[in-house]
Amino acid sequence: MNMMAPTAEVEGELRELSYAEAIREALDIALGEDERVILMGEDIGVYGGAFQVTGDLVHKYGEERVIDTPISELGGAGVSVGAAMCGLKPIFEFQFSDFAALAMEQIVNQAAKVRFMLGGAVSVPLVMRFPAGSGTGAAAQHSQSLEAWLGHVPGLKVVQPSTPADAKGLLLAALDDPDPVMIFEHKLLYKMKGEVPAGRYTTPIGVAAVRREGTDLTIVATSIMVHKALAAAEELAKDGIDVEVVDLRTVRPMDRDTVLASVRKTGRLLCVYEGVKTLGVGAEVSAMVAESDAFDYLDAPIVRLGGAECPIPYNPELEKAAVPQVPDILRAARQLVKAEV
Amino acid sequence: MPTEVIMPKVDMDMSHGKIAVWHAAEGEKVEKSAPLFDIETDKAAMEVESPAAGYLHHTAPAGSDVAIGHAVAWIYAEGEAVEDPPGGKTPEASPAGDAPAPNGHASALAAPDAAQAEPSAPPANGVRATPAARRLAGLKGIDIAAVDGTGPRGRVQKRDVEAAEAHRAKAPEPEAPHHSASTRRAPLPARNVDAAAQPIVLVHGFAADAAGWAPLERRLGKGASVSRIELPGHGRTAAAKIAGFADLLAYVRERFDALELADAHLVGHSLGGALAIALADQRPDAVAALTLIAPAGLGAEIDGAVLAGIARASRAESLAPWLKRLVANDDLISWNYVQAAALARSDPALREAQQQMVDALFPDGVQSFDVRDALRRLDCKTRIIWGRRDAIIPWRHALEAPGRVSLNLFEDVGHLPHVEAPEAIAALMMT
Repeated sequence: MNMMAPTAEVEGELRELSYAEAIREALDIALGEDERVILMGEDIGVYGGAFQVTGDLVHKYGEERVIDTPISELGGAGVSVGAAMCGLKPIFEFQFSDFAALAMEQIVNQAAKVRFMLGGAVSVPLVMRFPAGSGTGAAAQHSQSLEAWLGHVPGLKVVQPSTPADAKGLLLAALDDPDPVMIFEHKLLYKMKGEVPAGRYTTPIGVAAVRREGTDLTIVATSIMVHKALAAAEELAKDGIDVEVVDLRTVRPMDRDTVLASVRKTGRLLCVYEGVKTLGVGAEVSAMVAESDAFDYLDAPIVRLGGAECPIPYNPELEKAAVPQVPDILRAARQLVKAEV
Repeated sequence: MPTEVIMPKVDMDMSHGKIAVWHAAEGEKVEKSAPLFDIETDKAAMEVESPAAGYLHHTAPAGSDVAIGHAVAWIYAEGEAVEDPPGGKTPEASPAGDAPAPNGHASALAAPDAAQAEPSAPPANGVRATPAARRLAGLKGIDIAAVDGTGPRGRVQKRDVEAAEAHRAKAPEPEAPHHSASTRRAPLPARNVDAAAQPIVLVHGFAADAAGWAPLERRLGKGASVSRIELPGHGRTAAAKIAGFADLLAYVRERFDALELADAHLVGHSLGGALAIALADQRPDAVAALTLIAPAGLGAEIDGAVLAGIARASRAESLAPWLKRLVANDDLISWNYVQAAALARSDPALREAQQQMVDALFPDGVQSFDVRDALRRLDCKTRIIWGRRDAIIPWRHALEAPGRVSLNLFEDVGHLPHVEAPEAIAALMMT
């Protein structure tokens, strides 16, 4: 069984698409089936987007639905929140997730709060897309993994698709959601290819995926770290270490059941995530396990591998060293399984 | 407390054994190691010796099938009151006389019944144990405080509780007849014992053996109480396949535990140094001082070519160049020495075991194990000794040690300080 294949009850024909193409296909489907859907963002029109995700959609749907916004993230985000409140379904693209900092007021104080503060009279069916992560040599202001920032805010949903199929399915699920959904897309994944079902389908928000079953150790990983964890798992299998890899997929709301079931089975937990280790997604996963009945099944301390406590360096070697890599996962996993920690 | 006689496991795939015949009758006096009964398996018949001297009671009937590890009889000491069989495990109990109520197990492991009576006994305080180990011990009614921990700093792991449970099922393991064949468990015995002296335990490095300590031992003097632990596939120890560092550590730990020492001075060279650190971390109460000579496990770098070259060398000619890399002054490596070393390596099984060990421990010429965290955790007196001309492991790895560790760096000494400068090392060890 191919665990990276789509997990939902999907019937569409499978094709090889890149992660970016899968997102574009989802956008195309959404624009085609619902005229309330609009795309907004800087350079997403004729230029095709900073990472060429929107591509030529502007030629198909016109400049009134694929809208180039001025270079003001706060302004663009504010307009998209307002449009959502007034009945449209905007999909707002940031050029880099780092620029979320400029739009925080609209995301955190408006989009996330409006439904609650107006007694449920209004919802904000907004989707925001954030190209995130390091590895492109884009340095400290363009390489962060800030999903934990937004994951900290009740009223938002935050997802991190790791495969082309999930990138499409989670985007369409986000559009169906009546509340704001933040999608963190890893920049290094845009060119990754994978099987994607044709047509419309959704990947449920709040449901993790077990990408590899194992008995000795649970690795809970997010985004690109899922692939590094799987590579490490293959290597560890040669040593007879049987690793289960859980792709969290959604940061908020977190899939407690899948994670706890896996930890009860293996008795060991390694969290691998690219965001800064301290107060990151893995901290929440660890705490969730420590607070649960799965605690009684732990046969080793919980270990986290996260980003280094520094801005992402420009130097390519240091940039690599600042986030978990396969050898780091191998070392941590071996120590855990051999009870050396 | 009578001695339990159990059905031993004499065949890999056997779950039960059939008692063919008893050589002693119920109530009869038996001597230790005398033939007690015969068992029959599908493949063979085998005689089982008595684990103790005394009077035989509660024997399972001849012809009956008994599960491995279960009691087939009990041996009572002279004058000991014969009671119901302890634990009630004998299949065909035949209690003799009006026995008083059983006084229960003196064993640290509680009887299984106790588990059902108090399933949620509070966890023992002050015991280092993982949640999974505590949970399993609670379910099985095992006192976690009595379980021997093999994790870091003696932490009890789930596997330790499982081992304790298996041990309980097997009962008096040290005396069980099926272990009598095991002869290579004991470390080489302590020599020149002086009860007042702090016991010294020596752990040699890769491709060395216990005899390699001779220059240092001479300088330690006659009063020293010295034991040497030999690694598997080295010297006179039989080859054994090693899956990795933890596996090797478990082997060394078993031999160290068998010495039953308190406040030992543990001395390790190279790979033995890494093992000594990990051992001290797991047995903090048994190790009072640590001398680490060019220890491994403090960094990734190591000269993989030398390791592979020595492991593979089948002749003096191919061994010599590698041995010379070990020392700063290669005059120490005489042709006679090389020939003697090659002779000691003439067994192909030994060479194969060592090559496998290189693969397992130093894949691609890299030290795959790391004991830096363990070294930082230690609080016993610790000294690192290194030659500044060590060509095998960079002496700068010593700088990974925390500040409380003493560091002695020797000029013009290579990877074998205990051979190249034994006088100075012995003097340091005795301060």
